[in-house]
Parts: sequence; structure tokens; C-alpha cells
Amino acid sequence: MSFLKKAPQAATTSGGTGTTATAEIPVKVQRHTGEKWLSVAFLAPALIFLLFTNVYPLLYSLRLSFYSWNMMVPLSVPKFVGLDNYTDMASDPVFLIAVKQTLIFVTAAVAIEFLIGMGLALLATSRVKAMGVIRTVLLVPLMMTPVVAGILWRTIYHPQYGVVNWLIGLVGIPPQAWLGNPNQALPAVIAVEVWQQLPVVIFVLAAGIQSLPTDLYKAAEVDGSSMWQTFRYITLPLLKPVIIVILMLRIMDAFKIFDIIYMLTYGGPGRQTEVMSMLIYKQGLKYFQVGEAAAMSWVFLLAIFVISLYFIRQLLRGN
Amino acid sequence: MLSYRTKRRVSNVGLYVLTGVVLVIIAFPLYWLLITSVKLDIDVAHFPPVFFPTRFTLDNYLSVFETENATKFWVNSIVTALTTTFLTCLLGSMAAYALAKTYLASAIRQFLILWILVTRIFPPVTTAIPYFIIIKNLGLADTRFSLILTYTSYGLPFVIWLMLGFFQDLPADIEKAAIVDGCSMWQRFTQVILPLTLPGLAVTAIFAFIAAWNEFLFASILTSFSAKTLPVVISGYMSDKYLRWGEMSALGTMMIVPVLIFAAATQKYLVRGLTFGAVKG
Repeated sequence: MSFLKKAPQAATTSGGTGTTATAEIPVKVQRHTGEKWLSVAFLAPALIFLLFTNVYPLLYSLRLSFYSWNMMVPLSVPKFVGLDNYTDMASDPVFLIAVKQTLIFVTAAVAIEFLIGMGLALLATSRVKAMGVIRTVLLVPLMMTPVVAGILWRTIYHPQYGVVNWLIGLVGIPPQAWLGNPNQALPAVIAVEVWQQLPVVIFVLAAGIQSLPTDLYKAAEVDGSSMWQTFRYITLPLLKPVIIVILMLRIMDAFKIFDIIYMLTYGGPGRQTEVMSMLIYKQGLKYFQVGEAAAMSWVFLLAIFVISLYFIRQLLRGN
Repeated sequence: MLSYRTKRRVSNVGLYVLTGVVLVIIAFPLYWLLITSVKLDIDVAHFPPVFFPTRFTLDNYLSVFETENATKFWVNSIVTALTTTFLTCLLGSMAAYALAKTYLASAIRQFLILWILVTRIFPPVTTAIPYFIIIKNLGLADTRFSLILTYTSYGLPFVIWLMLGFFQDLPADIEKAAIVDGCSMWQRFTQVILPLTLPGLAVTAIFAFIAAWNEFLFASILTSFSAKTLPVVISGYMSDKYLRWGEMSALGTMMIVPVLIFAAATQKYLVRGLTFGAVKG
């Protein structure tokens, strides 16, 4: 995310460095136009690739969103329906449930990850040794194929043979259905998400804490500041840019959740864990209502875009 | 940093116990996967769970390899992930290099950087439907090529974003020196800049590889047989019958253990890569 801060700086100073460079190295000026076109040549392959594989499919999907089309009906053609797919969404209970479950999922998962992550990052940066071992252990969930993690956690949550039920049995709680229970399925899925993504939060916050200037802490210690005061008035304000970045990254990634829910619950029981990605997938690729699914995709995209803009503005304001 | 000598001694034990408990919780699923893959079926479907099995079997591994076309699915996964890694790193680092330099008007660079960032945050499911239709219409369904295309599309913004950070971190003097020596832009890129950012590039490549290696959504909708990759094969083991979980654990173990060994060997650099964008700058 560093470019968010650096790019504007570079933009304002580029004129300056340009002139100093002129004084020192005349060669650069002569080459300047050539370099510009070479830069374009360096950029072109990636940008053209993205135009075809990203921009075009998205525009295609935007067009589809104004049509009604069940792809699997033989010889069927898309029928233009204007904004119907969009207006229908507002009154579609299935869509509204998905919005609600997505928001609960993202908010709860990221909040828990952040709180636990902050605690553990503070611990890890204060006194804990054996960072190599800890780092390796923390990398395990991150590297694990989500599909594998999904099935693995199904065995752990298994009502009959699962480890979780054995664990709560030790303190006398009767076995629970977990993924099969409408009230427990979403929290169970959130727990898996937290397990898999917590390490990123710990890594980023720990690195952020380590990059803070130490003299402030010494001053605080001399002044007799309590641990909480030090955290509240020194660590937290200084860490704000890092916190904004990690929250943004985690929120954006949490919206993407698909594989794990697909494996754990497939959106069930009922629609308890049917987040937006799951709903779009089912609508488009199970029921083949591609027009509706495309409209949902676009609403989903725009919502995420607006949320990320909010964070980007926060970041830029901080600088 | 937050510690004080007086409190230190008191809380040290608690601290290590807490850290230990958290690490055990985080690592337990991996242990469970490994142990399930070598358990006998009767120990898998057993309550209370068998945490320390005394009898072992390799039947699950043999059965995974004896599945029809097992080799083919491995080849698919390896070829797709490696090609994607190569393409994203090549195209991505070139683009990032151009964006890190100031030759282009800053408005254009800002716009492109924002575009890349926005592309990076798109949930893959939002392009799943157009991909499905377009790939089908192009007659590319069930080919490794279709996977490489879509994976590269999702990998590129990520690689550009990471490499941009690494390039901007290099001191400008290095490049100036190379200019004075008369290096062309391509020479500077391949002989000066890339070697200097090699650790960063390696980390980026590892992440790109893992993302492609683990990818499931596109693989499941764009392939049916010929180009099927391992995550799709594993998802096929899912059934309500508990007993197939031995095989899925065996295949899951084989899929993630090489990645984990590699990750453990490079953990320091990987974590730097993970935290790089957020903390630096």
C-alpha cells in the first residue's frame, strides 16, 4: 500500500528531481522522450492483458445485467429487461439475506481478527522469543489450500466424531450440530476464517509496532505511564496508518470468501451462511440465471468499491 | 516495548502459556490433517477422537494415486501454477517498473495505480459468470489455457502492487549510475534493478504460485475433466460418508506439505512480503 503515500510525493517531487538530474546527468534529458515510450512498452503487455481478461469480462457482465437469460434452456436468447434485475433485488428476500449475512460475516470476522491480532502482535513484539518457530506456525493457515482447510474443519466440527464436540464434552456441554445448526453455522464459519487469516493481521501489526520509534516509549516509561496509557496514547495513534491498511485489506479479502463456505456449508443450513459470493455463484452457475447474477455482481462490486474508497481517503488524509 | 521489569517476571509464565495455547490452536488442524491421512478407517470414525494413533496405514495415499488420471491432475496443477507464476511475474514486474519511474505523467500513473488497486480488490466470483460464458464461447472450456488466462488476470494486479513497493524502495542513485554507464532501459531493468529486488521478486513469485496452486472457484467452473486441478479433485472427495476423509487428507497433505516446507524455509522473507506494503512508506 506504500504507493498510496509515495505516489503523490513522487508526483510533486518529480519535477524537482528532474531538474537536479539535468544538472548532474545531461544524458537523462536527451533520453527522456525515448524513456517515456519505453515505459509505455513496459506497461503495455500487462495492461492489454488486463483489458482483455478483466475489463472486457466486467463490461460483458454489465451488459448481461440488463438481460434476462437462463443459459441452460436450449436455444434461449437473452431478453432485454432494462433495470429490472436491479430493481427486483431491492425486494428480493434472498438477496437481502445475503447482504445481511455478508455484513455480519465480514464485520465479525475482521473485528475478531483485529482484536486478537492486536493482542498477539503486542505480545510477540514485547518479550516472546523463538520468532522463527512462531512465524512458521503462523504461516501454516495462510498457506493451506482453502478447499483443504474447508474439508478439514468439517471433520473437526463433525457432530459425531469431531474434535470440537469432544472438547466441549470435557466441560460437560452436550454435542452440538455446528455447521448443521442454523444458529451456529455462521459463527462456526467465522471461526474458520479467523483461524486462517489471523496470522496476516499479527504479521502486519507486529511489523508496524516494531517500526515505531523507541525513544517515545522510553520517555513514557520515565514519565511513569501505565501499559494501557502507553498503548492508548502512543502505540495506537502512531499505528493508525498501519491499522487502516490492515483493516482495509482484511475487509476486502473477507468479502471474497468463497472456497471455505463452499466446502463447509455450501451456504446452508437454509441460507444462514449464504454470503454474496455464494449467492452470485448459485444464481449464475447453479440456476444459470446469468442476468440476475451479473446484476448482483455489479452491485457487490460497487459496494466494495465505495467501502475501499472510504479507506483510501482515510489513508490519504492521514498523510 | 510495553514491558516493565516489575510486571515482567510475574506475567512471563502466563505469557508463554498463552502464546503456546494460541500456537497449538493454530497448528492443530495441520496435525489433524497429517494424522488423519495415515489413520485406519476405524480410528478416523471414532469417538472420542484418536489424537495419538498407534496403528498406521498408507492405504489412503495408495488409493489417491490409484485413482484414475491421478498423474494428469497433478500435471495440470503444476503446469498451471508454474505458467501463471512466470507470466504474472514477468508482465507484472515490467509494468511495476514503468509505474515506479516518473517518465509518465503523474496523472496517468495515479490512474493506472488506482485501476490496479481496484482490480486487486474485486472478488473473483464477480467475473466468474462472464468467464464461464466467454471461455465456453471461445471453445476453451476444460483447457489449462483457460485457467492460466484467468489466474494471470487475478495474479497480475497483486504482483504489480507488491513489486511497485519493492522498486520504489530502491535508491534512485543506483539507476542514475546505470544511466551514466549508458545502459538502456531494458538493460537497467534486467541487469541492475531486477537482481537488486530479487528477494522481493522471489517472495512475490511464491505468493503468486500459492494463489494459483490453491485456486478453486475458476478451476471448478472452467474445467470438467481434462484440465481438472487438485483442489477440484479434493472437493470431489467431499461426501457425507466420513470414510472418504482419509483419502482427502492424504491428497490434501501431499498438496500442502511441499508448499509448507518451502514456506518454512523462506519464512522470514515471506513475512516481509506480507507486511511490506502495509508498513513501509
